[in-house]
Amino acid sequence: MGISEVLRPELMTFDMKAEKKADAIRELAQLIYDHGYVSDLQGLVDAAMAREADYSTGIGMGVGIPHAKSPLVKEAVVAFGRSKKGIEFDSFDGEPVYIVFLIAVPENADKEHLNILSTLSRALMHEEVRGALLKASTPEEVIQAFQSKAD
Amino acid sequence: MKFVAVTSCPTGIAHTYMAAESLEKAAKELGVEIKVETEGSVGPENALTPEDIRDADAVIIAAATQVAKDRFRGKPVLEVPIQDAIKDGKAVLQRAMKLERPKADYVTEVEKTKEERSESRSGIYKHLMTGVSYMIPFVVAGGILIAISFAFGIHASEVEGSLAWALNKIGGGTAFALMVPILAGYIAYSIADRPGLAPGMVGGMLSVSLGAGFIGGIVAGFIAGYFTQWLKTVIKLPKSLQGLMPVLVLPLISTAVVGLLMIYVIGKPVAAIMTALTNWLTGMTEANAIILGIILGLMMALDMGGPVNKAAYTFAVGLLGSQVYMPMAAVMAAGMTPPLALALATVIAKNKFTSEELEAGKVAWVLGASFITEGAIPFAAADPFRVIPSIMAGSAVTGALSMAFGCKLMAPHGGIFVFFIPGVITNLPMYILSIVAGTIVSALLLVALKPNLKKTENVAASVSE
Repeated sequence: MGISEVLRPELMTFDMKAEKKADAIRELAQLIYDHGYVSDLQGLVDAAMAREADYSTGIGMGVGIPHAKSPLVKEAVVAFGRSKKGIEFDSFDGEPVYIVFLIAVPENADKEHLNILSTLSRALMHEEVRGALLKASTPEEVIQAFQSKAD
Repeated sequence: MKFVAVTSCPTGIAHTYMAAESLEKAAKELGVEIKVETEGSVGPENALTPEDIRDADAVIIAAATQVAKDRFRGKPVLEVPIQDAIKDGKAVLQRAMKLERPKADYVTEVEKTKEERSESRSGIYKHLMTGVSYMIPFVVAGGILIAISFAFGIHASEVEGSLAWALNKIGGGTAFALMVPILAGYIAYSIADRPGLAPGMVGGMLSVSLGAGFIGGIVAGFIAGYFTQWLKTVIKLPKSLQGLMPVLVLPLISTAVVGLLMIYVIGKPVAAIMTALTNWLTGMTEANAIILGIILGLMMALDMGGPVNKAAYTFAVGLLGSQVYMPMAAVMAAGMTPPLALALATVIAKNKFTSEELEAGKVAWVLGASFITEGAIPFAAADPFRVIPSIMAGSAVTGALSMAFGCKLMAPHGGIFVFFIPGVITNLPMYILSIVAGTIVSALLLVALKPNLKKTENVAASVSE
């Protein structure tokens, strides 16, 4: 089982409309909802925003990684969004983000899925991965950006 | 340098791992070692072992949740918000590199060793020690009250209604009478939980009345415990009646069986052994007394609170119940000398100990005086082949002298704090002399055996002070 198991091509968008954090989360949540991985759109948005209230997931370096753990979620998935103009994300470094991952995890998620998510999170700490993601324009390139680190 | 770290965040999905990666990456760049435990949604991964923590120069906790810090006692700990570790792992590591090691808290360290030891006890030894630890307070209270009653004059307690008589009745007639039942009861309790208590205590009481003393009590406790435990597995009641198991079925059957065994099978032979032992101990020649003192002394110092030490100690405490008080005196004295000797050695030969050990030496006076033999462990752990033989020799001297002088001790604990309660120790001046002699012997051996530390170590050590 590889990273493509949770990072699905149908859950990627390369031209996000949102300019604010809440809108960005809603935009990616909509994608997850449209493909039937979650039973309640608003529920997923609320869970992710509640998590943001603890402290922001705008980890700096142009990356936002909002996430939600909720019984509404049927299967652990990640939606990926790229923004050309940048999104105000309340980041640690105060800069806008250009890459957003929305992670949705069911209440008792499969351990393998969680392990993939941890690999993904770890990979984001590396500059070469972030650089490749910023250049990616197809789902294959997004997955490719992680592959080097994940395997 | 070596570091250990723990990362943790509320959902345990992303930040936990990003922080871990960031710290590991920074460690690589800075050329230091790090092991990061992630406490994420899959539970702790890459868990830190006690060895990891021991070898680490500092601990980093990057968490947005509560992380248990007990295991890091005595280590410099840097706590940062998890965001900081993600944002700039390098800066966090650099801050951790500058942390000062907190001054070794010697008492905490000794406490910790004692705790670890009692946690690591298992099986028969653990059950026996549970029984002994519940028994000790009865023996302390009883022994000291009896001793005080004697202080009114050796026959004062025979006058019914007098204070001496009352104290003797409380201490000897009651507290001491409970010691073997409590010992047996809590051995059984340790094995079989609550249902074991009744058969154990009844068995212990029968042991006393049959003259089988503490040895019979230990036997009764183990039989009661294991028998009750076995009953639990063989008796199967319907669910509706299961509530009767712990209150009716188990205690009834096991008390009856243990009691009958004590009366018809075990009581007599154990009583014979006990009588022989007591007679031998009370009528012992001086040469035999000295040999026993040497053996008890060696046992007390060998593992400083470990199983061998506890075996000697349990033996002596158990004999108090049979009015045999000399081994108790020898055991306590020999258990006090190891920390005292180390304390003395640090005073005599400052150049043979590290600055931490010199500091520890000051505390060792108190630990020794309080009969906490474990106070010698940190010294012994650092240099076992010189320290252990030295303290064994001194304890053997102390044990032998205490026996030779016929010193008696009526309380099983307390160290120097029971010395001045009238009547607790007989022949106190000679008792003190025994302890001093052993302390000096061990201290001189330590000084002779331990090498001088290199100049640099000393200088470095004193600079850091």
